[in-house]
Amino acid sequence: MDDIKTVAKELLTSGKVNAVIGYIRYGNDKRTKPFIAQKPEDVDKFVINNFILNNLAVYLTRKEVSKLGKVAVIAKGCDAKAITALIQENQIKKEDIHVIGINCNGVTKDFDIDFNSENIAGKCLNCDVRTPKLCDSLVGALADIPSGEDLKLKMIRGVEAKNAEERWDYFEDEFNKCIKCYACRQACPLCYCEQCIVDKSIPRWIESSATKRGNFSWNLIRAFHLAGRCIGCNECERACPMDIPLSLLNRKMAMIAKDEFNYDAGTDMNAPTLVGSYDLKDNEDFIE
Amino acid sequence: MKIGVFICHCGENIGRTVDCARVSKAAGFFPNVVHSVDYKYMCSDPGQNIIKQAIKDLQLDGVVVGSCSPHMHEKTFRKAVADAGVNPFLCEIANLREHVSWVHDDMDVATDKAIDLVRFAVEKVKRNAPLKTIQVPVTKRTLVIGGGISGIQAALDVANAGYEVVLVEKEPSIGGHMSQLSETFPTLDCSQCILTPRMVEVYQHPKIKLLTYSEVEKVEGFIGNFKVTIRKKARKVDDTKCTGCGDCMQKCPIKKKALSEFDENLTTRSAIYVPFPQAVPNIPVIDTEVCTYFKNGKCSMCKKVCGRDAIFFEQEDQMLTEEIGAIIVATGYKLYTIDKKPKNSEIKGYGEYGYGKYKDVIDGLQFERIASASGPTSGEFKRPSDGKEPKKIVFIQCVGSRDESKGFSYCSKICCMYTAKHAMLYKHKVHDGEAYVFYMDIRSGGKMYDEFVRRAIEEDGVKYIRGRVSRIYEENGKYIVKGEDTLAGVPVEIDADMVVLATAMIAQPEASKLAQTIGIPYDKYGYFVEVHPKLRPVESSSGGIFLAGACHSPRDIPDSVAMASAAAAKAMVLFGSDMLEREPTIALVNENLCAGCFYCKKVCAYNAIEVKQIFDRQGNFVKEVAYVNSGLCQGCGTCNATCPSKSIELIGYTDEQIYAEIAALM
Amino acid sequence: MENKNQDPKIVAFVCNWCTYTGADLAGTSRLKYQPNVRMIKLPCTGRIDPVFIIKAFEKGADGVLVSGCHPGDCHYNAGNYHARRRWIMFHKLLDYLGIDESRLHFSWVSASEGKKFVDVVNAFTNKVKAKGPFKKYENINKEFVING
Repeated sequence: MDDIKTVAKELLTSGKVNAVIGYIRYGNDKRTKPFIAQKPEDVDKFVINNFILNNLAVYLTRKEVSKLGKVAVIAKGCDAKAITALIQENQIKKEDIHVIGINCNGVTKDFDIDFNSENIAGKCLNCDVRTPKLCDSLVGALADIPSGEDLKLKMIRGVEAKNAEERWDYFEDEFNKCIKCYACRQACPLCYCEQCIVDKSIPRWIESSATKRGNFSWNLIRAFHLAGRCIGCNECERACPMDIPLSLLNRKMAMIAKDEFNYDAGTDMNAPTLVGSYDLKDNEDFIE
Repeated sequence: MKIGVFICHCGENIGRTVDCARVSKAAGFFPNVVHSVDYKYMCSDPGQNIIKQAIKDLQLDGVVVGSCSPHMHEKTFRKAVADAGVNPFLCEIANLREHVSWVHDDMDVATDKAIDLVRFAVEKVKRNAPLKTIQVPVTKRTLVIGGGISGIQAALDVANAGYEVVLVEKEPSIGGHMSQLSETFPTLDCSQCILTPRMVEVYQHPKIKLLTYSEVEKVEGFIGNFKVTIRKKARKVDDTKCTGCGDCMQKCPIKKKALSEFDENLTTRSAIYVPFPQAVPNIPVIDTEVCTYFKNGKCSMCKKVCGRDAIFFEQEDQMLTEEIGAIIVATGYKLYTIDKKPKNSEIKGYGEYGYGKYKDVIDGLQFERIASASGPTSGEFKRPSDGKEPKKIVFIQCVGSRDESKGFSYCSKICCMYTAKHAMLYKHKVHDGEAYVFYMDIRSGGKMYDEFVRRAIEEDGVKYIRGRVSRIYEENGKYIVKGEDTLAGVPVEIDADMVVLATAMIAQPEASKLAQTIGIPYDKYGYFVEVHPKLRPVESSSGGIFLAGACHSPRDIPDSVAMASAAAAKAMVLFGSDMLEREPTIALVNENLCAGCFYCKKVCAYNAIEVKQIFDRQGNFVKEVAYVNSGLCQGCGTCNATCPSKSIELIGYTDEQIYAEIAALM
Repeated sequence: MENKNQDPKIVAFVCNWCTYTGADLAGTSRLKYQPNVRMIKLPCTGRIDPVFIIKAFEKGADGVLVSGCHPGDCHYNAGNYHARRRWIMFHKLLDYLGIDESRLHFSWVSASEGKKFVDVVNAFTNKVKAKGPFKKYENINKEFVING
């Protein structure tokens, strides 16, 4: 298996791409940060380890990046799903990017902590795309990864077990924490609208004032707009400074998509999107 | 905005349960309402004059009428408003009759509700924009897809009315299935004899451009303004030089390799061929699959013998574009092959009947060829296996039709009649022969149809057995047909010399693909779907595209011809005016905000969303955005609701208007 | 049968071609029903955006009724199919977030189903009435969020 530096360097020196988006070390010896390498020597700094948390697909729709022409991007399996979804939604063209997939051995929950069964990110447990489905080159080797408890799934089951009133109270409290910094939106590779509905003022569908109601509606519409689209990279939750368990929404919607339509977001770039297509046999038990 | 509110009593229809004076008084206090009155009959001339006068006196630029349903009088009031010089789309209706006075008894409650409804209408009209009806010119040319009897009839009707027609047929000749038939029920007149003159008429008609061996590749545009791309497949014969002398076919060394499509595989044909002697046009095509020249270049006999130098091996497919105003789809049907389970199909097939295995188990169209004077046996009844005259024939109806477990749930409609005809034709020629028909029940609705079936039974002695056949197998040169007579309640076994299966009529296998190309809906069987089953049976839901014949559902010749004429009439209705008027309530894209995800395009049932590239002033590509083709958009607004950033909006039902209505509710 | 009380407040989002016309037929047939529903007419169920429903609840609706053409009957071919798919996701999300499912009702009412329209409105009104007012969503706007 080729090494990331060799692959990246070859892509740059041959002129196949104009830039490679990857990870470099930052701060202490564990933390990484995204880096856009435009010169072959830049790639010497690239690292791949259990601390490459960012979903680099988010940069592909940024104007600063699309300006660079053809770019390569390092992608974990989940990140590659985001790229697939972006292709499905016409945000990038497959021929404009080169995906350097990595055989992923899991990532940590957050920087500055050791990678072990306690701290493995929830999304890495039961991951079925440790080798990315969409990639033009593949680097790294698969190794055994620690197992851990899927706490978020447990929380979802916990919420489901509550009655409507309790669920409302639970989410009202959680959304109450929201400071509308929109870090969730910023970190999400699939939030690429030129203007988010929450910023639309005529009419003001979602109140942006700091009221509980605005918070509730914002988080509700965000979950809905990602329904059938969220690929579960969980960057929104990691970005949230107020620790709102956003994956409880996104993952629940993904579970509904799976149950109802057997749909997995970001698995097939030629597949019709969940919203935007229909089946004559779609469930209508709830319609009188 | 200065809004006038006009509350109608509708005689006592509204006034009895709604306190109209209270409604108009309350409305007078709504913001922007400068004038509010009630009147006994607002739709009457004096009523309309009240509105017109108020517009003039008070310079109103918005009108709300509280009256009956907008489906009733919206047009009336909008016209009145327009007459007074205000844009008609600045008039909204509050439905105080059907939705209030007629459904509630309590005056207070009804009046409160009426006030609410007027309030929404006021809030909505404040945000209405003056709109203009869209005018689109009409290209008065018709494309007919399919050159069977339906397509021929439609093309001739339109052309005889003086409009140009482009007739596209995928086979080398027009004529369709009707040209294969021997005689037609219930009159038993010769199919070819009545059809061939029509085919020639099409060929010679100055208004008809005939494109055989051609297929529709792409349809762009919209009602009155289609741009159609047609692939003219390479015949490998120059149709401008060929005289149809047939020397090439005579000399072609390949005689046995290709099965004749026209004779339903009962005979063979040469590699260069016309499907049948009366073909229109009488210009051969080369079947490049079997032709030696195209295999190894070793033969060019046809080229050598052609006195006109018309053989043109290098000829390639040609793309033609045509400007079209109306499209008539008449692609016809196919018979279902029942020998074995087809690939990618949910249909199980009828392996137990031995079709494909036993040469003398044939389908209805094969029987037509055998019965036809121009067929492989020159109309004499000889069975395919050994050429002997069959003395006992079993006909089985509903093979694949009305059989949900193994075929299709629908009735193929024509089989009862043609089976009776088949049995009758046989009995007329083979007097000592026996004809048995297994049927589920006889469906012979139609002029002289039931009489025809009775004649087969009573005069010609065809034996009808009500029941299904379970199995057919060969034994001592006979085909043992095992079935049940459900009327007598006994098992039946017949040792037949030949078996004819009335197999289901199915849509052309490419029908769904064509439907997607031209943008019309089709059902689960691949049949095209009409807008309204009762009142608009020949129109597809796409404006300007009409349906004719068996591509819509199984039907016989007279029904197909009638439908074709109806479709032709619909096309001519369209050509009756030079400009088409369209409602201006269509979607509009905010190109600044559009992120180009094209969810709008995905949900649009009309292909009205196009991709537009945006460039900056230096000519650099910036982004792709959605663009609404105003001719195609029907104004459903599904795009608007789907767009996550609301960058596409339905004029007349904008987010702002609906928001205002919701806000006014509470 | 009729109640004088304007509560509960129910907003209906209906399509022009089927349910609105079905409601017209109820009127023409002089069928009586409860007066709590306020209808907003849209061309097609495809035009019904989930934000409408959110906004209606925010503004204090006790119930929201959504209705349009039966599958296969859509005037615009497929608007109701796309709508149905959105509703599946949306109503499950609302339920999960704790908005009582019985406050949001979906139905197909054709232009010929005046009687069904009446039955749907009456049954839903009774159901919402039994549930009582839904002020949670509306009232939380009065509570400003205090962070840190």
